[in-house]
Amino acid sequence: MTAVLSVTDAVKCFGATRALDGASFVLRPGEWLGLLGPNGAGKTTLVRAVSGRVRLDRGRIDLFGQPLDGPGKDPRRRLGIVPQEIALYPALTARENLAAFAALCRVPGGEIRDRVAWALDWTGLGDRADEPIKRFSGGMKRRLNIACGVLHRPEVVLLDEPTVGVDPQSRQRIWEMLEKLRADGASLLLATHQLDEAERVCERIVIIDHGRMIAGGTFAELVARTVGNKRWVVFAVDRQPPGASLPDGLAIAPDGTLRAAVEDVAGELSRLLSALHAAGVGVVDVRIETPSLQAVFLHLTGRELRE
Amino acid sequence: MIRTLLRIKWLSLKRDYAALGLTFAVPVAFFTVFAGLFGGLPTGDGDGQDRQRPLKIVVVDEDRSEGSRRFVAALTRQSAVEVSTGPGLGEQEPGAPEPPPDSYSRDDARRLVRGGRFAAAVAIPSGWGGSFGSLSPDRPAIDVVYDAANPMARHSVSGLVQVAAMEALPDLFMKGGFRLMDQTDSGLTPEQRRTVDELIAKVRSQLDEIRRKDAAGAEASGGSPAREEQEGFRGMVRVDASPARAEEGETRAKKTGSLVSYYAAGLGVMFLLFSVVGAGGAFLEEESRGTLERMLAGNVGMPTILLGNWLFTALVGFAQVSLMFVWGAVLFRIDLWSVQHLTGFAVMTVATASAAAGFGLVLAACCRSQAQLNGFATILVMVMSALGGSMVPRFVMPSFLDTTAKFTFNGWALDGYLKVFWYDDPNATLLESVADLLPQLGALAASTVVFLLVARLLARRWEVV
Repeated sequence: MTAVLSVTDAVKCFGATRALDGASFVLRPGEWLGLLGPNGAGKTTLVRAVSGRVRLDRGRIDLFGQPLDGPGKDPRRRLGIVPQEIALYPALTARENLAAFAALCRVPGGEIRDRVAWALDWTGLGDRADEPIKRFSGGMKRRLNIACGVLHRPEVVLLDEPTVGVDPQSRQRIWEMLEKLRADGASLLLATHQLDEAERVCERIVIIDHGRMIAGGTFAELVARTVGNKRWVVFAVDRQPPGASLPDGLAIAPDGTLRAAVEDVAGELSRLLSALHAAGVGVVDVRIETPSLQAVFLHLTGRELRE
Repeated sequence: MIRTLLRIKWLSLKRDYAALGLTFAVPVAFFTVFAGLFGGLPTGDGDGQDRQRPLKIVVVDEDRSEGSRRFVAALTRQSAVEVSTGPGLGEQEPGAPEPPPDSYSRDDARRLVRGGRFAAAVAIPSGWGGSFGSLSPDRPAIDVVYDAANPMARHSVSGLVQVAAMEALPDLFMKGGFRLMDQTDSGLTPEQRRTVDELIAKVRSQLDEIRRKDAAGAEASGGSPAREEQEGFRGMVRVDASPARAEEGETRAKKTGSLVSYYAAGLGVMFLLFSVVGAGGAFLEEESRGTLERMLAGNVGMPTILLGNWLFTALVGFAQVSLMFVWGAVLFRIDLWSVQHLTGFAVMTVATASAAAGFGLVLAACCRSQAQLNGFATILVMVMSALGGSMVPRFVMPSFLDTTAKFTFNGWALDGYLKVFWYDDPNATLLESVADLLPQLGALAASTVVFLLVARLLARRWEVV
């Protein structure tokens, strides 16, 4: 399948700092791709390079098969960018902001009114359309911020932390909005630290660190390649007789839990419960932990702080 | 806790070179400029006075008597004035029987003062020398025609006329006094008359001696001749002073309006500068808010963004200055509503607002933060306003500061407005009036182009990295 966006061997240095060091990935038509990485990994530089704001020292970026800085019609006109910060005019109303950004995105004059009406409906801000947005809540501004980036019906949308700092209700509303874009065929590149959301909505995930792609694929592929497919069965215990012999070398942690890794939950859970019962261990609760993107992420990038 | 806070503040200041400069270097520069304005810069011998700018005056001698020639020569020796008697002429030759063919006439002199080329004109009427020393109220009076925009000119020149006359003609003054005594009932006895004649000859001889010494002293020092103040004789020369425009049928109200227009121009240009600083701040706010980045990422080019900002700022500036003048016209009777004034005002305001908007963009593009802009630009605008003549009329500035003002676009703007409202020629056609503004319009247009080019270059920092 032809990629709508491909980044190949991207290198960018800022002085002695190598922000991108051979990063590569592709975004396919209609796909949602999560771009993950710790702070300072090069995500922002990569997103800025795709939006044409950073010139690579080496490598290339193709949008719709056309080099970003090549001759001919600029392919970036088919790209929508939603920045992390609320890049709106606080003194303007929602409607005025939308109209302004529609014009800046080169939406034809005759269509602006319709696109603004669509955006107000899409964001659920129709009843507040004529209020200055400085009175809006964080979630409302965030929705408007996204709408201002897609007024020109882009085929590829770069979203940088679209749900940061908003409440669960607003977050839910934003994902519903983005699902509508997906239904219309837009491809999304989602740069985020919200790993649970990336795991839930993205079809593929790319993890970069130190300016390089260190892993990429579907969530299941990443799990299989990193933490493996074993599930953790976590038992909460309330008593342990002195000298009790636990099965499989298990031990009870100071917090009163006992963790066991299993390949086959259905086959092994009853055996473990029986063994614990026979040993006189009182089990009050059982929880099964599936492999998470967070576990994959920490496995790949380590646990030390990046600041 | 306080110590920690002080340390944070100090480190923040120490690492921001612009803020450091604003805190320490710029105030020193500011002080230097204003000290120069009001006190003159110190000279090599510690005397700042010789850098003061002399008043330029034009002298018309209609009397052509020996007394008038001596008076003109004495006036020319005053260091406080720079005398011209005709195009390319300085002091007229004493003893010359006829005026040089290109000497200024009284009408020429009035026109020149009205046009702002001279601060005042001194006209010596026929018969003045012959009646010198008379105390008759009908004696011919010296006319001083002054530029009302320069309130110092009238009194300074009137005073200098008294000084020059007393310096030049004490003998004639005594002669007049004794002539007056002679007209009393008994008159002078032959013996008294002989004594008086001897006294007059002695005074003249002493005067010649003083002049010889002055000339020798001036030659030795390379400066102007020393003078003796003769306070006792001051006020004895009859002087009629009138503003350069008074004889053109202008009403007092109109003159008052012209004075207001002088201040409206000065303050208008100064506040225009402050308002473009605000516009520059709004541009920086676009950067910090992220809308500038969004526009650039959205394929809106930097030239477009700059031009849009420039145009908006220029339009706001035009509206701001227009409002100030319309307000002045309504409330203070600024003469705005004639075709010549309205046209001149419009072209000057378009040119000034365009240059000011470009200046605002340069400021925004060279400052890294709003704090830098506010600090730096406020001081810069105040210095430029002072140099340009918005705060202090330029004719009171030392000549080197007046020359420096030619390098400020607001100085040119102020010159243009003054040409429109103050130094206008009521007999000029509309085309001539506009053509008279061409130097100012040209300077402002060139400034606009330079500002826009510099802003474009500086704005590269916001573009692709």
